[in-house]
Amino acid sequence: MAAVYAQAVQTLIDELGRLPGIGPKSAQRITFHLLKLPTEDAERLANAIITAKARVRFCEQCFNVSEDELCSICADPRRDQTVLCVVEEARDIIAVERTGEFRGRYHVLMGAISPIDGVGPEQLKIRELLRRLGSDTVQEIILCTNPNVEGEATAMYLARLIKPLGLTVSRIASGLPVGGDLEYADELTLGRALEGRRIVD
Amino acid sequence: MIVRQFELVDFRNYVQASLSLTDHITAVVGDNGQGKTNLVEAIGWMATMSSFRGAPNEALVRVGTDQAIVRAHVEHEDGRMLLIECEINRSGRNRVLVNKQRLQRSRDLLGVLRVSVFAPDDLNLIKGGPGIRRDFLDETLVALRPKYDTDLRDLDRIVRQRNVLLKQVGGRLSADVAFTLDVWDSKLAATGEVIGTARAELLRDLVPLVSAAYRDLVDVDVRIDMVYDPVWRRTGLAVALADNRSDDVRRQLSLIGPHRDEIDIALAAMPARTHASQGEQRSLALAIKLAAHRLVTDRIGSPPLLVLDDVLSELDPRRAAALLQHLPAGQVVLTSADVLPPDAGAATVLRIVRGTVVS
Repeated sequence: MAAVYAQAVQTLIDELGRLPGIGPKSAQRITFHLLKLPTEDAERLANAIITAKARVRFCEQCFNVSEDELCSICADPRRDQTVLCVVEEARDIIAVERTGEFRGRYHVLMGAISPIDGVGPEQLKIRELLRRLGSDTVQEIILCTNPNVEGEATAMYLARLIKPLGLTVSRIASGLPVGGDLEYADELTLGRALEGRRIVD
Repeated sequence: MIVRQFELVDFRNYVQASLSLTDHITAVVGDNGQGKTNLVEAIGWMATMSSFRGAPNEALVRVGTDQAIVRAHVEHEDGRMLLIECEINRSGRNRVLVNKQRLQRSRDLLGVLRVSVFAPDDLNLIKGGPGIRRDFLDETLVALRPKYDTDLRDLDRIVRQRNVLLKQVGGRLSADVAFTLDVWDSKLAATGEVIGTARAELLRDLVPLVSAAYRDLVDVDVRIDMVYDPVWRRTGLAVALADNRSDDVRRQLSLIGPHRDEIDIALAAMPARTHASQGEQRSLALAIKLAAHRLVTDRIGSPPLLVLDDVLSELDPRRAAALLQHLPAGQVVLTSADVLPPDAGAATVLRIVRGTVVS
């Protein structure tokens, strides 16, 4: 197919199209939106990307995104040092933080075990996790991986690895959304919620 | 559940078509290649979200367009009307709307509309490979309990992950990898047991119904066995996987589990695949499908829509008459290239010519 757009325009479309969740049509739309912007707005966006890329790195302890050696959570002395929540990605931390229910610290695995994607335990931050558990402050691990095949396998792998160390290991429950009607819950979620039922005190 | 009206847009050779179905038998006639099977394929798609001909989704979208739409107006037992709309996309995800509300997960459509399809290919239930018999059991189980679909998809995913891991291992298992393989074995065992138990229980209930249906069709009392007895179910899949591990590692493949199971079918104590005549095989396949249809009807409390795609022409006149006579209550869509037998009892006859409904 012959090139429809000028080289620079096509390059921008191609680059945007490589981002997650952006298809060819969205990439084209965003490109033309950017081209219409005043130069300083476009520069602000470009600079934001460059600055973030230059400044942001991964926390040396938990692999959350951070501007310093330690992320704000690891550096916060008020966080509970005895509980560790293990998540697949740094963005999962934000989800858990939004609940306001968790006052411990995190550990980001940077993925889940998935042979199809070439990810085994050695590609994940599991060695680093075990090193952290070696210190005597951590007493409980909460496995907060996704409730899909790969996330469940990763949770099982970690549980088998960590339980012999004498720590408490728990897995987040999957079940019903709060505030919803039972009638509208899909069968799978309701089925899981039934499996994970609790005795009422 | 009654399907009142049915519409297709850009599905296979149809640009646009709309048809009303009667409470009992609706006949669809037309010469070969006009689109009779395409029509019932679209109805079947809404039940299983796949083609009963095994065609990929992109094959269902009319040439030159990007999207097919299938729409059904369904009347529920309690009188509620449901409008089910499916967009089948050539590339990308399909969208499903129920009463104009988009389903968050398209697969939640499973179980909303139940359809039993009888087609000439059903002969492969007897003559074909074990995968066809497994798929038949699994589809019946999904009709009975839609959540089973998730177990099937998990099984598929786990087996694929485990196979890739076995390939990566390359025949030599280190302690580290053995630890990871243990995890996949546990996942496979847990999901596999669920599927194995569901299949065994289904067959237990199905076999008596198959015998009865066969008797209805051929008027002969003959013993029919359908045996699902994989070796792994005797010890449990966890034990069987451990025992078989060295073979799996050497062959770099998951050799045992529900994805490899066989269902042995015997007529008069002889394997039906090799010993039954073509006519017996056809009647047996039909009896198995009828039995599943009756089982779903009993359990759900209302009959699935029954599609008989070009089935009558495959049977001798006596058996065709027996089939029509023993058709369960409920809606039937029947396609035929020939003139319908006078006892077909179709209230409406629709004629299809080149992808349009002409009457």
